[in-house]
Amino acid sequence: MYIYDQFDHAITKERVAEFSQQVSRRLTGELSEEQFRPLRLMNGLYLQLHAYMLRVAIPYGTLSSKQLHKLADIAKKYDRDYAHFTTRQNIQYNWIKLDQVPDLLAELASVEMHANQTSGNCIRNVTADQFAGVAGDEIEDPRIISEVIRQWSTFHPEFSFLPRKFKIAVTGAPKDRAAIQYHDIGIHIVKNDAGETGYAIYVGGGMGRTPVVAPLIKPFVARADLLSYLEACLRVYNLHGRRDNIYKARIKILVRDLGPAEYARQVEEMWPMTRAAGVDVPAGEVARIAAFFAPPAYDKILEPVAAFTAAKAKYSAFARWVQTNVHPHKVPGYGAVTISLKPIGGIPGDASSAQMHAIADMADTYSLGEVRVTHVQNLVLPNVKQADLFAVWQRLGEIGFAEGNVGLITDIIACPGLDYCSLANARSIPIAQRLSQKFADLDRQHNIGPLQIKISGCINACGHHHAGHIGILGVDKAGVELYQLTLGGAGDETASIGQLLGPGFTSEDIVGAVDKLVNTYLDLREKPSETFLEAYRRVGPAPFKESLYGRR
Amino acid sequence: MAVVDRNGPIADAWTRLADEEAVSKGASVIVSFARLKNEHNSLFSTAGAVGVEIPGDVNLDELEPFLPRLSVIVVRMATMRDGRAFSIGRLLRERYSYGADMRAVGDFIPDQILFLLRCGFTSFEVKDNFPIDSLKRSVAAYTAWYQRASDRATTVAELRQGANPNGGTS
Repeated sequence: MYIYDQFDHAITKERVAEFSQQVSRRLTGELSEEQFRPLRLMNGLYLQLHAYMLRVAIPYGTLSSKQLHKLADIAKKYDRDYAHFTTRQNIQYNWIKLDQVPDLLAELASVEMHANQTSGNCIRNVTADQFAGVAGDEIEDPRIISEVIRQWSTFHPEFSFLPRKFKIAVTGAPKDRAAIQYHDIGIHIVKNDAGETGYAIYVGGGMGRTPVVAPLIKPFVARADLLSYLEACLRVYNLHGRRDNIYKARIKILVRDLGPAEYARQVEEMWPMTRAAGVDVPAGEVARIAAFFAPPAYDKILEPVAAFTAAKAKYSAFARWVQTNVHPHKVPGYGAVTISLKPIGGIPGDASSAQMHAIADMADTYSLGEVRVTHVQNLVLPNVKQADLFAVWQRLGEIGFAEGNVGLITDIIACPGLDYCSLANARSIPIAQRLSQKFADLDRQHNIGPLQIKISGCINACGHHHAGHIGILGVDKAGVELYQLTLGGAGDETASIGQLLGPGFTSEDIVGAVDKLVNTYLDLREKPSETFLEAYRRVGPAPFKESLYGRR
Repeated sequence: MAVVDRNGPIADAWTRLADEEAVSKGASVIVSFARLKNEHNSLFSTAGAVGVEIPGDVNLDELEPFLPRLSVIVVRMATMRDGRAFSIGRLLRERYSYGADMRAVGDFIPDQILFLLRCGFTSFEVKDNFPIDSLKRSVAAYTAWYQRASDRATTVAELRQGANPNGGTS
């Protein structure tokens, strides 16, 4: 874990003071709502349907147990005793009072946390692979440069009033678990032919009403040059990105209109200047940050671990949970546990303060004090000894989070939707809940295999429906909530955009429609190991369309 | 309208000229970019000091030949959300080595002046009721910065290396 020094603490405290006086100037009327809006958004504060919503940054999804305890305390003290983990690895509180925000921010600062740049037209909280540091296929821990980027982008004087929001994601392994090609900038840590570690830079991906899989702009940027290259990317965007139309203001539109080659050329032209300006941080500073992410002191454990093997043999439900929810660890005798925040019929990503406290305690007992947040709205205990997995599973059962459904059809992403969000056209949460109930049978879930359903309540696509194997998009048609289906999206290293199947379904009919799609897949797959996505990519949309709309 | 710098109100010696207005001998005038391009010879010979107002979509390469003789460059922010001025400021200072006054005008708020200063701006045209207290507070809000900018302020990374000269080298 990165630990603040005197400078990080000072800057965080100064930000609390600055925002506190901005809040009081709003309350006295010196600032109009229009003037206050970009200021509060830069602090993650939204005015929603019923109240203010505060989005707190969890940089690259990494939390200490102490921080998670504090987030739970805040849920109890300032909210209605629960909070919501988001697809950007952050946490949201939905019932916040404006005049309490300064106190809340001061509490966050006491555990080295903040809400900086979790909204607004600035560089947002950077996201990364949730298995950073523990995945066996990793080239370099993505948290190192994620923290470098967090610091560089914090209160960036030039890039705080961009044409539109700007999201950066980093993945450190060939397997992309951070959906980097759906980001404004995706950074893939790679090795070049000389064996040096560096960064492949993808620019101009995104969801929203114009989904784009980001093109590769630069195959290799050396570590020493990363920030100056990013600064050149951002400057070209800040100068030339569209500001006349909010729907065309993201960098994906600029890259598309210029063409990736021309955009890359303009960045190359800008780059010598940002390099000469001394934007890149010294190697010593990168090394200082990297030291915080050095591997912890793992025990030497020989596999197989007898107690673990015995527990799997004795309890088939446990063995199944291990199959879906425990990711291989690079160190023998350990596993990375994904805690599903998707209990059957629950609200995806929600956790009560009691549940958060319990998970924080488990992190201390079993996972070297660390917790991760995933972009699929689950939590991870990254460092659990295999011998402890059974105890972890039992404890998760006591708090209602032992669902063994990670990667299966009930591991659904859903945005807050019309239940909370002032932008939404339709409700998302009730659809997720009913789908979860429909597919509750775990035998059937395992038979269906890996299948990601992602639900957005409007075209802004916060629920990542474009990247869902089955995507569901809520739309408003003459006052009626309708749900459109897309198929074949993916957010991994084979990223693709889901294709719209046809007319939407009512809330009553959408669950049955998904069931038909699933049955169609089960009928046509060549063998049980052929996944839904593989089958769709093989046969295309026709049989699925036919199952929903009949022969045309 | 009033003009402030980072410390508070300053005198404004400049006269804004519409494109059809004549230039008085020895006057300090701010003209449009179009007029500068068309009349630069007579402007620089007649006026005492010349400034130019540039739009957000300016091509700075076109401005470059005039930079050594300009005494102020005025950058207009159409709305407080129009952040191009921040990049224009840095380009003028860091790429074109422009060294004279750089002034922001338009719809910015006191809280943005801090970032404009970091991007090379030196003066700001504001409404007469501009809250000077907010400006002073805003400018003093932070004691250190993470990133390099046009103001060449020492970065946190540099402070760290200085604070711990034996640590963290590789």
